[in-house]
Amino acid sequence: MQDTDLEDLFATARQQPVTVSPDLMARVLADADSWQPAAATLPSRARKPRLFAGFMAAIGGVGGLAGLSSAAIAGVWIGFAQPIALSSVTDAFLAGGTAAETVDILPSFDDFLSEG
Amino acid sequence: MPFDDASDVPDEALLVLYANGDAAAARELAARHLPRVLGFAARLLGGDRAEAEDVAQEAMLRLWRIAPAWRTGEAKVSTWLYRVVTNLCTDRLRSKTRRRAVGLDDAPDVADGAKSAEATMVETERMTALTAALETLPDRQRQAVVLRHIEGLSNPEIAEVMEIGVEAVESLTARGKRALAAVMAGRRAELGYE
Repeated sequence: MQDTDLEDLFATARQQPVTVSPDLMARVLADADSWQPAAATLPSRARKPRLFAGFMAAIGGVGGLAGLSSAAIAGVWIGFAQPIALSSVTDAFLAGGTAAETVDILPSFDDFLSEG
Repeated sequence: MPFDDASDVPDEALLVLYANGDAAAARELAARHLPRVLGFAARLLGGDRAEAEDVAQEAMLRLWRIAPAWRTGEAKVSTWLYRVVTNLCTDRLRSKTRRRAVGLDDAPDVADGAKSAEATMVETERMTALTAALETLPDRQRQAVVLRHIEGLSNPEIAEVMEIGVEAVESLTARGKRALAAVMAGRRAELGYE
């Protein structure tokens, strides 16, 4: 057999299509599936607790907020209006002419500050 | 990513996609390499289709397993697969004392086409004769001849597959081809080479 005949045989062999049976392809893809690493996912970031939500939870929700607001407004009103009933009570406790005791802890220090 | 144009994606990129959990990448890799792997295994195993299918499945399985650790730029996927198939076939041939006659049933499938029945018969007969003649060669010569003349690899590529030097490849292919010509010498007229 000559070289050209062999080359012809090889060329024919090269052109022979190889048919992959569906069964083999299914087996190969099943292997691929079972050996495939799981897709990597980013770890989900823990959400930072929001400040307002934390405050609302601390005061007991919407009801607590309403109560706190009412108390704040009432306090401001009482402070400005000074109802008579309250004024007599405060006058009784804070009577006029009350002198506060003072203690001079560095009695001679003034001498250093004075000029001359 | 869309795989409508996956034919443009290099093998190594597909391996990375597969290792990252992309199932479509495995389908593309199998479609690209399985026919070649199967055909090569069948030729090394003397046309034994069932055994060639087992080898092809095993070779692809090794590809799936190595995918996460694949080192880009070191070897071509096709060359790596040829090497795995070569080693698997060598092991199988060693473990068996199999030298049986090759029947028509074992011949590779011939495509249906516009060829006449006579041309198809001649072609089938030639392929059967070639398969039988290849089987008479020593394993290493057969591997080198098939890789060079049927799979179309270059000598350096064959050297990489067979893990030998380029000169050894040249020697193996030359001796293999001579032996093949000698085996088929008496069948020239029978195979339609006038």
